[in-house]
Amino acid sequence: MKADTSGVVFDIRELTIHDGPGLRTTVFLKGCPLHCAWCHNPEGRSRDPEVLHGPNGDRLAGRSYRADELAALLNRQSPLLAEGGVSFSGGEPLMQAAFLEAVLERLEGLHVVVGTTGYASAKDFLSIVRRCDLVLFDLKLLDPEAHRRWAGGDNRVILENLKRLADLGSPYLIRVPLVPGVTDTEANLRAIARHVRELPGRRPRVELLPYNLAAGGKYAACGLEWRPEYDETAPCRTDLTPFQEFEVEAIVL
Amino acid sequence: MNAILEQRQAVLPELSPRLAEMKRRIRAGEHHRFRTTETVDVLAECEREGLDWTQRAARLTRRMCEAQTVVIEPDEQIVFTRTVRRVSALYRPEQMEERLAGRVFHELGPISNVCADWGMVLGQGLIARRAAAEAARARLAGDQEAKTFVDAAIETIDAVLALARRYAEAARALGRGDLADVLERVPAYPATTFREALQSLRLCHAVLWLSGHYHCGLGRLDQYLWPYLEEDLAKGRLDLAEAQELLEEFFISLNKDSDLYPGIQQGDNGQSLMLGGARRDGGDGVNPLTGMAMEAGRKVALIDPKINLRVTRDTNLGLLAKGVQLTRIGLGFPQWCNDEVIIPGLVAAGYELEDARDYSVAACWEFIIPGKGMEVVNIGAVSMPAAADQAIRAGLEAGENFDRIIERTDANLAEQVRAVTKSSRTLLLPPAPWYSVLMDGCLERGRDLCHGLKYNNFGIHGAGSSNAADALAAVRALVYERRRIDPARLIRALDSDFEGEEALRTELQEDAPKVGNNDDLVDDLLVKLFDRFADACAAAGDNGRGGHYRPGTGTAMYYIWLARGHEGMTEPTVGATADGRRKGAFFSSSLAPSPNVQVRGPLSVLQSFGKLDYRRVCNGGPLTMELADSLFRGTDAIEKVALYVRAFIRSGCQQMQLNTLNVDTLRDAKLHPERHRNLVVRVWGWSGYFCELDESYQDQIIGRHIYGA
Repeated sequence: MKADTSGVVFDIRELTIHDGPGLRTTVFLKGCPLHCAWCHNPEGRSRDPEVLHGPNGDRLAGRSYRADELAALLNRQSPLLAEGGVSFSGGEPLMQAAFLEAVLERLEGLHVVVGTTGYASAKDFLSIVRRCDLVLFDLKLLDPEAHRRWAGGDNRVILENLKRLADLGSPYLIRVPLVPGVTDTEANLRAIARHVRELPGRRPRVELLPYNLAAGGKYAACGLEWRPEYDETAPCRTDLTPFQEFEVEAIVL
Repeated sequence: MNAILEQRQAVLPELSPRLAEMKRRIRAGEHHRFRTTETVDVLAECEREGLDWTQRAARLTRRMCEAQTVVIEPDEQIVFTRTVRRVSALYRPEQMEERLAGRVFHELGPISNVCADWGMVLGQGLIARRAAAEAARARLAGDQEAKTFVDAAIETIDAVLALARRYAEAARALGRGDLADVLERVPAYPATTFREALQSLRLCHAVLWLSGHYHCGLGRLDQYLWPYLEEDLAKGRLDLAEAQELLEEFFISLNKDSDLYPGIQQGDNGQSLMLGGARRDGGDGVNPLTGMAMEAGRKVALIDPKINLRVTRDTNLGLLAKGVQLTRIGLGFPQWCNDEVIIPGLVAAGYELEDARDYSVAACWEFIIPGKGMEVVNIGAVSMPAAADQAIRAGLEAGENFDRIIERTDANLAEQVRAVTKSSRTLLLPPAPWYSVLMDGCLERGRDLCHGLKYNNFGIHGAGSSNAADALAAVRALVYERRRIDPARLIRALDSDFEGEEALRTELQEDAPKVGNNDDLVDDLLVKLFDRFADACAAAGDNGRGGHYRPGTGTAMYYIWLARGHEGMTEPTVGATADGRRKGAFFSSSLAPSPNVQVRGPLSVLQSFGKLDYRRVCNGGPLTMELADSLFRGTDAIEKVALYVRAFIRSGCQQMQLNTLNVDTLRDAKLHPERHRNLVVRVWGWSGYFCELDESYQDQIIGRHIYGA
């Protein structure tokens, strides 16, 4: 992979809390093939840099980095990230798989986590997850229709990649965003639990992420209207029974 | 890490109903009804008897003790409530002028900002201290000064013993046999139990304040108290829960009289204590009291005592997590001190290794050795932004190159240091017979504390460092390297406070390297500023008291004073600066990126400040970080922040304040103070009730960098 492969990053945050074990710096790669109705990083959807018009003035979201440049920046933090590492999130980091691969190749001794929707070609998917120490794999809706409606895209692609990940045998976790009335239904959680149970290899842990009421916070700044077609004020079901039933380890984050 | 998980899930205990009620009473000021309106006037009798300064100081202690009304509340296990409000003067103003004879007092005059050898005091008891005084008098027969001092010291000891006796008798009369037993033993005799040790400490410490001293430190509390608790536990006299409650009561008691203590703002009173760290022999000093004291601080949640925790990369994660639980509630405690950096720094500054391992902090962060230091850790400050600003203007006007601007900055810093050190040589410390009783060797040598101890250094704050480095970096990048800004235009813009030059100001603020991003293009200037500051302090030589000048990285209140000016301040103020800072805008408190600049995040900040050579700047001064309280909503946030503390240790930084706050709450507190009476914030070396702070201090806190929001 070439050092001058470049990619677009919309944020780099230090001391992130939800992006993997220990002390972490998270790189947010811009661009996502899905458009989940509850997406709280709308500036991560488009691949191109864009100007956000926030309450405190304009801000450019999205900056182009060369792979060696981003890797050098992260490597410089490695002395402090010995008890943690770097995470890549998005958007969907696999949208920039070649760039990400070039960055990962250049990281020196850093623990790497990638958070992905799994919506990518098999080749891109494997090229990245093979280089990770931990994958945080999003699983939203198992019903193909519901998935198409709420997240866009065919979830068969996602489930096939999940199977590939399981076959690989390297560490991964399943993450389920709980959206009231959409993903937190008993039927969906049972379907997820059943699916996870049937995955080959060591059964992964499932982490449920309760709905974040600040989800719509950045839409106006992106020139978008926040109009969720679900009742976001409804209480989130954080029921772990379906998982217990299928003997799948699950926690609420 | 499992232990931490368990701790996080456990419901954290709260104060017992007894202590919750005690805390409520104190916050409501109900005990103020015991305070008398009478003032103690010792002047007349001092004049009548023709007493000298030392004798007058002793007489003050005695009369203040005698004037105390005994207060024993039915629910108190540890007693003493101050009832005399004001401390009497020892001389009339004109007489004082005469005594000073051109010399100057430090701040208010009386010895302050040092720490007694509490371990020695609790272990010996006052009767043994009295015997030591008597022995010195016999040994030094013929030495008139020694005799006067020793007699004065004995007068203070007898006064404290008499006060304890009155408390004991009152306790007996009230049927409080438990309390009477304690007070009949301490502080007269060596404490034999944890409760006696706390009572002895409470009384002896309170008498320091009654004697006019202030910023009275508590030192390494877990080190000197643990032997008592350990023995209680071994003999089954006390269980851990009872000990915890006693410790919490002691902490609450430190808040009783603090509104009577002098300070810049209420809360600035130096009741600081140190936990953990190495023992004098180099072994690990962490003991069960280390964690208990942090737990007590969290449960009591008041502005006193100010808690410091010493750490190394071997400090166990469970203890760090306990510290973070305290961080989480937003008092700004503990202040984290990195033994790996501080101890070698103190050794390099001339402290013996065993003493260096025994360090505590003065009021804020300045390292001192309890019982062994008569150091004045805050004799003044240098304004790094003023040094840089004068150099930038002069250099640009003369058409010089950038190296020359750096040389001018160095010369300006050296000049500021000379000014501070010159005035400090005329410093006069007044006699302090009671404090001398509590120090290592004063009685034994027959010499008052004011004549010095083993360590007699002076400390100077190095303030506004990030703004200064940012200003120099902006000039280097934008004027010299990229040639985007014309020198004359920059000078005009600075003179007019960027009037009509907003675009230029934005460029200076946004398009130049800034401290806090691990960017060598500016961090090298920060390093150089402190190096030159240290050179200048070294060049200043002896301070006239057998000590030298210690440079530090703290600011105290200078982050406001140097920006706005302050009555009586001799340090230079500065207008608009070349980093894009407007005239009057505050600097950062101690070490932090300049206000309003973009930084990558808390790890890069550690990396920027980790580049300083802290062996050369050992007066202390914390990296100051504000965390959003929302950061703590994550389930494993305690662990993450504990790991962040470890990263701080690994980064090679010296000291760190982690403050947790919520800006919306602070804004609301400004509008509706009545709703936020108990809201505590860390201000600099101390914490205070937000609503009781001057507005300028409130605004500075609201404007700080907040991470994790």
